[in-house]
Amino acid sequence: MFFAILESFRSALAAIYANRLRSFLTTLGIIIGVASVIGVVSVTGGMSAFIGESFASLGANSLTIQSYTPFEDLMKGIRSRLTPADLELIEKRGEGIASITPVLEANRSSQLKYGPQTAYSLIMGTTYAYQDVSQSYTRFGRFLAQSDNLTRRRIAVIGEDVRENLNLPENPVNEYVELSGEWFKIVGLLEPMGDIMGQSRDNIVLVPYSTMVSILGNQAKTDIGIQLSLTPTANPELVISQLTTLLRNAHDLSSDEDDDFRVQTAEQLMEQFDQILGTLTMVIGGIVSISLLVGGIGIMNIMLVSVTERTREIGICKAIGAKSHHILMQFLIEALLLSLIGGLIGLITGYALGMLISNNIPDFPPASVPVWAAALALGFSGFVGVLFGILPAAKAANLDPIDALRFE
Amino acid sequence: MALIELRGVKKYYEMGSQVVKALDGINIAVEKNDYLAFIGSSGSGKSTMLNILGCLDKPTSGQYHLNDKNVEILDQNELSGIRNLEIGFIFQSFNLLPRANALNNVMQPLIYRNVGFKKRKEMAMEALSRVGLADRVDHLPNQLSGGQRQRVAIARALVTNPSILLADEPTGNLDSRTTIEIMQLFDELHQEGHTLIVVTHEDEIAQHCHRIVEMKDGKIFNDKKTEKYLFGEAL
Repeated sequence: MFFAILESFRSALAAIYANRLRSFLTTLGIIIGVASVIGVVSVTGGMSAFIGESFASLGANSLTIQSYTPFEDLMKGIRSRLTPADLELIEKRGEGIASITPVLEANRSSQLKYGPQTAYSLIMGTTYAYQDVSQSYTRFGRFLAQSDNLTRRRIAVIGEDVRENLNLPENPVNEYVELSGEWFKIVGLLEPMGDIMGQSRDNIVLVPYSTMVSILGNQAKTDIGIQLSLTPTANPELVISQLTTLLRNAHDLSSDEDDDFRVQTAEQLMEQFDQILGTLTMVIGGIVSISLLVGGIGIMNIMLVSVTERTREIGICKAIGAKSHHILMQFLIEALLLSLIGGLIGLITGYALGMLISNNIPDFPPASVPVWAAALALGFSGFVGVLFGILPAAKAANLDPIDALRFE
Repeated sequence: MALIELRGVKKYYEMGSQVVKALDGINIAVEKNDYLAFIGSSGSGKSTMLNILGCLDKPTSGQYHLNDKNVEILDQNELSGIRNLEIGFIFQSFNLLPRANALNNVMQPLIYRNVGFKKRKEMAMEALSRVGLADRVDHLPNQLSGGQRQRVAIARALVTNPSILLADEPTGNLDSRTTIEIMQLFDELHQEGHTLIVVTHEDEIAQHCHRIVEMKDGKIFNDKKTEKYLFGEAL
């Protein structure tokens, strides 16, 4: 049996090679199907690998606490909040916290002016501790200091994009920009942080937290975010559960009420992105597998033609002693190889396609194909080959030798 | 016991409402190293005879002993095994695999015996040398002349060392000069101890044999020894 199988592979390859063009056209459905899957997966795979790196740079052991309002409550006009009192509570009672800072964001982009230039940017009120929590450092000048907060100084630390948009000099320290009708002195320029999910992290203006409170005035009850970093020895899960208990008590939540806030690690944020990407990949994969199905039917069709064409050969083989399983094996292996070769070509084409896409979109992460996707694509095309090869192969194996020999 | 023994073999085909009696009660014995020709006009049943003898087809009724085995009770796969072990086919239209070269064609039946490549090649080379084609082993069938193709087919039949060589109009597609060459090869194979059965409608071919069985309407009409048998090869 072993030599018969070996020989089947050889003769199948010979048959595929003898009909090169036809084999290629036959397997085109598989090629296109696999190439699309791999193209999509390589782009999203590159993206998720990139996201992983980006979040790692956020600081793996940092936590973010934000208020959370269920959609139902939002419709009723109820909004959950985190207040400065919560911050104080955590500062006093929280354990395992290295540094902690409030983050107060304007709820929309704000206009900045410098001479004739205007630009829009995200304004964040925070404290000196943000430097440690977010791992952001200044290129020129200094970061926010504690005294800035206490005295509500009108100063700002800006990101690289803001400097560019406003046409500020290379070193913008000591320049003044207008923000909400007030003049702010620039005291520092941040090191560029790069993009995350295509969104710049450099289009940012940091001002002292208390300054931000006074700018916003009493237009809304404040809802702050809290960012904190953990001490190296702290166990993130323990800290999270402790903070959750603290905040639940502070917010007077009874045991049957859900949390009105979210404590998230950078990892969790990353998982969320991964989940979205995963779902996207699955949906596209599902659509594309239909193309593999069509490709399989194409293979079956040509294999049936091939069996008819080679009826006489089958008769000869049977006359000189081939049993049904020999013939079955030969055609099954041919169908298998045909679709596997298609799968392989599709794999290479898809990867090339992914590279092409990611190289031509600026700032897009490089394509990468995970091993499981490559294995799955090849496995699935092999499966399609066997599945759709069975019918033609069985037809060949069951031919009557006399009729087959007489076939013209 | 004879190498081949047919007892009361009948083969009936149903053609619509009519029953065609292709073979109608055949009794014949063929001894080892016999050199036998089946002759008869078309429709006499000699092709059906060949199919039955070659285990390509099963009789409707009757018994067929081949080399002490009862073959009429076997199924298609078992018959394939018998064909591989006991029978070497030589066809009128050569029936070589078109995409395989001479060597691969001759090696083909050994694959079904699960012989390893090295041994297979050795045996095939030997068979090809026997028919005088040692220098044409890597030629494809369409690169060979008719006579050479038939030699490859004979080598393929010989390579399994079968009990009988079964030739169906072996020279039907060949010119007269090549016909003589092929028949000389047959004569030699007979002298080497092979059992040959030739189905033909040409009297000249039949005269090479030692025994001629004439068929008519599915029955054996005449069964006689030839002069060659009586007076030896000298004739």
